[in-house]
Amino acid sequence: MTDRRRLRSLWTIAFMNGVIPVRRQPLYLLNTIASPLSFLFFIALASRGTLLRPAIAGGMVLTMISIGTSLQADLTHFKQDMKFQDLVVASPVEAPIYVAGLALSEFLYSIPGLSVFVALWVATGPPPGILDALTVGFTLLLVWAFSSALGFTLATYFEDIRETFVFGPLVSLGLTVLPPVYYPATFIPAAYRPLAFLSPATYAADLLHRAFRLGASEPLFGPPLLAAPLDWLALIGITAGLFLLAAKKARWREP
Amino acid sequence: MADAIRAERLGKTYPHSKDAALVGIDLRIPAGSVYGLIGRNGAGKTTFVRIASTQLMPSEGEIWVLGHDAVAEPRSVRARIAVIPQESRPLYFLTIDELVFHHLRMRGMERAEARRRTDQVLGQMGLADRADTLVSRLSGGLRRRAMVAMIFASDAELLFLDEPTTGLDPLARREVWAAIQRAREGGRTVLLTTHYLDEAEALSSRLALIERGRVIVEGTPADIRGRVKYPFRVTLPASLSQSELTSYGEVSGVAGGWLVFAREEAARELTRLALGRNLAVAMAPISLEDIFLQLVGRPLTEGESAGEEVA
Repeated sequence: MTDRRRLRSLWTIAFMNGVIPVRRQPLYLLNTIASPLSFLFFIALASRGTLLRPAIAGGMVLTMISIGTSLQADLTHFKQDMKFQDLVVASPVEAPIYVAGLALSEFLYSIPGLSVFVALWVATGPPPGILDALTVGFTLLLVWAFSSALGFTLATYFEDIRETFVFGPLVSLGLTVLPPVYYPATFIPAAYRPLAFLSPATYAADLLHRAFRLGASEPLFGPPLLAAPLDWLALIGITAGLFLLAAKKARWREP
Repeated sequence: MADAIRAERLGKTYPHSKDAALVGIDLRIPAGSVYGLIGRNGAGKTTFVRIASTQLMPSEGEIWVLGHDAVAEPRSVRARIAVIPQESRPLYFLTIDELVFHHLRMRGMERAEARRRTDQVLGQMGLADRADTLVSRLSGGLRRRAMVAMIFASDAELLFLDEPTTGLDPLARREVWAAIQRAREGGRTVLLTTHYLDEAEALSSRLALIERGRVIVEGTPADIRGRVKYPFRVTLPASLSQSELTSYGEVSGVAGGWLVFAREEAARELTRLALGRNLAVAMAPISLEDIFLQLVGRPLTEGESAGEEVA
């Protein structure tokens, strides 16, 4: 397959799964924003507005993590219920193109939700600079990438769509609700703070909090000046690791 | 004629299973032909299709598809094949037209060519007047036809159709048959698995009968007929006793009477006997179903309700 055909294939998959269904049922878009906005609402309300900005950053991260859980559900549904993946495996479409196409379709669903959070970010604080915008953009891109790789890997092991109903919320809980994504890491007692850094979303949120000029957590080691580079390093490393895991462990042709 | 598929000593045992799904399969499927794989549920047909179409790894043996080693060079194979997986369903949020058109685009086809092929196949399959109907609003039979249209519209040289007409009404089956014949006339190879033996016989230039993961018999329909002991069937009423019939051939009880498999002369003699006694009698060449019964010792449909197909 030439690169041109690969791109055509990728966009067709994204269009089929991400544009056509939304044209037919625009309410799908509300689904992607419901959970992130609910958390934002309660945290902002309970903190009397003091945590509004960290929660906006959290909403962005949760929206992107939701892409991974949606991808995991779609992949499982297409594989187990529709046998669509079998049809794709036995075709010129390669595994990375199929997954990237579906991941892009999930991203398309998330655009309205992300737009709301970006609008809130801009409206509730000082105007963001180009560097801040780039930081937010690249961070969210990495979250999209690692959550998609994780979703693909998990989906290849599921044999029933109901398993995704169990694991999806668990992944969201472990990656975004418990770690300091909607709130600053400094809220966690120092002794337990290293646990928060087990979640890749913590690094992403930390970077977003900096771009939002909220101040951010102290690094686990090294001087404070190194905190942001270490966040980038960890996020990129985890993303690359999850991609390697997906490439090595995910099952395209069954054993 | 070159082989589209060549399997040698092909075997498959699924992980976590003690029993082999395929054992020592040797098959050559000529290019440009329609080849029928027949057998009961769980016999191993789908396992063979999944291995040949690079969805599943074999446990042993070798398989070449369109000149490529399907195990070592799956990408070279995948570029030239298309599959309707067993029990597959079309994406329900698309219309029939979108389903076919985007399937072609997903395979990398240019827009204009995809449009032309979509319009053509929808016309050929009698789906043009429903092109804009959502798949979710179609009956099961129409959904299956939409899947078939999707695969036939592709530019694949080798088509794997795993029970493509299951659930179709007779008219829709004929439309799928016509599409298969057009594919063959166009020089494509079709590997067809089916429970419908009339379908296999009508469409296939060669057949393989699989039972418990092994090929029981292989050849042209005429070859296969020639290999059974009794090429004729005679059905007779229950008023005749079994002991009267056993000298003519192989007797088995059926609803309302007897079924006797016999050689031609014995079958004619038995028919004359029944007519002489004014009894209803029917004599005919055996069907593939009968061949299956004679070779395997039980009917093709036995055990179907158990849904024992493992993959």
